[in-house]
Amino acid sequence: MPEPVIASVGASPLGRTDLPGRDLFSVALAEAFDGLPDPADVVEAVYVGNQSESYEHQIMYGTLLAEWAGLRYVPAERVEGCAAAGALALRHAVKDVRNGEHEAVLACGVEKMTSAGTSGATDALSAAFDRAIEQRSGITAPSQYALLAQRYLHETDATERDLAEIAVKNHANAARNPRAQFPKEIDAETVLESDPIAPPLKLYDCAPVGDGAAAVLVTTAELADDLDRPRVRVAGSGASANNIAVAERDMTDIAGARVAAETAYEEAGIDAADVDIAEVHDAFTVCEALLAEAAGFAPAGTGYQSYRAPAERADGWTDVRLSPSGGLKARGHPIGATGLLQALEAYEQLTGAAGDRAVEGAETALLLNEGGVADAVTVGHVLTTAEAP
Amino acid sequence: MTDGDLDATDPRTLPGFFDALAEGELLGGVCADCGQVLLPPRPACYACGSRAVDVEPQSREGRVFSYTEVRTPPPAFAADAPYTVAVVELADGGRLLGRVAADYADVAIGDAVELAVREPTAAEREVALDYEADWPLHVFEPR
Repeated sequence: MPEPVIASVGASPLGRTDLPGRDLFSVALAEAFDGLPDPADVVEAVYVGNQSESYEHQIMYGTLLAEWAGLRYVPAERVEGCAAAGALALRHAVKDVRNGEHEAVLACGVEKMTSAGTSGATDALSAAFDRAIEQRSGITAPSQYALLAQRYLHETDATERDLAEIAVKNHANAARNPRAQFPKEIDAETVLESDPIAPPLKLYDCAPVGDGAAAVLVTTAELADDLDRPRVRVAGSGASANNIAVAERDMTDIAGARVAAETAYEEAGIDAADVDIAEVHDAFTVCEALLAEAAGFAPAGTGYQSYRAPAERADGWTDVRLSPSGGLKARGHPIGATGLLQALEAYEQLTGAAGDRAVEGAETALLLNEGGVADAVTVGHVLTTAEAP
Repeated sequence: MTDGDLDATDPRTLPGFFDALAEGELLGGVCADCGQVLLPPRPACYACGSRAVDVEPQSREGRVFSYTEVRTPPPAFAADAPYTVAVVELADGGRLLGRVAADYADVAIGDAVELAVREPTAAEREVALDYEADWPLHVFEPR
């Protein structure tokens, strides 16, 4: 079986931009193919992660972006799973290369979230929740995660200040990331004194709304070598759906994410302790705490210590560094592109291209990308430059 | 696998569930194999995969499991904000999300509440899909 590798990555600027989705994609694609043959000479299939047609009144994103890449008569489709759409697109590309169907597949993601302001994004995102009970009760993304945060603070020793410190850590990482939407440091008081959005969550607990696109080229190892590109093995891929309604899930043991991570670890032949860096889905600060536990990095109830240096965390924590990119919180969260921005960060970290934010000696990364609320769907990938065990 | 005869009178469908709720009856699915409560009822149990799901009336009394306040609502509910929402654990074991008829500051985890049912307002009918227009809304009242 061919082993899929990531051979190149690219992204558009993130945040409020004057470019529609297809043009954001063109920018990301140009970076990914800088120095390579044209996409039409390389790419055999396209998957596009995209949350919602409500931002641009546009579906058929597979067809559209294949065309804008100069590809004709190739398989191309949009992949939908709210904020997990990007990693689902990556997973499809990985499977196509792994099963020998294609040598090179483009996984990309795009979202034009700023087209209708905060209310437009709030409305579009609410479509990810159960229509019959949750949507009709007026729930929103921040309030859904606030229900998780309220419960987490109730069950553990974590405080609102701990959650604030997660945002502080991710902003500090983003300050060294030239791609970040918010490349600036903040302090805990800024978080704690920011506007309440859905208590206990405040504005600075929340990832921002923003535009963005990302492109990731998945190939065989042989093709990556032929293209003279640094390569990172996609050693494991797992995906897991849980209930759509938050009320019917365990709200502090994010079991779907646990399954996705463990599946990816098993495929890669590694344990959680082997992971050097992790890009997890910190759409809200509490997510990083919950996912640190689900990924096996932290004992139950201690994930909120993710902002601390490894030596200062509770016994049983691994030495993993979380969200060196700045995470969704500060790097940015253009929904359909987010899973691919996580892969981009891991690729740059593992190939020595992460500049000032490089985590020294990092060889193995875990990516956890979620859609809906928390683990309604989770996709996990293990990326590594280590030799196969 | 059976259930080929499901229609809109069956409480394992949403129209059937909401018709019963409009009459004041909260129906849950109860898995005959593992006991899991499913709100609303549905043809299969998510906990064990069984399709032996009985439909049984559920207690409308419960306790707040988690809660928050919506301050930036979806456009359809802008006039209602801020409002309190909670996940409530009902006495028969199921958990259900809904609004709470109390200010956020007056609610705490563990508070006793009771589910009440009302008809949709004119504004709610306005934003409803055609087939939802008559579906009732539930709200948890402090007890």
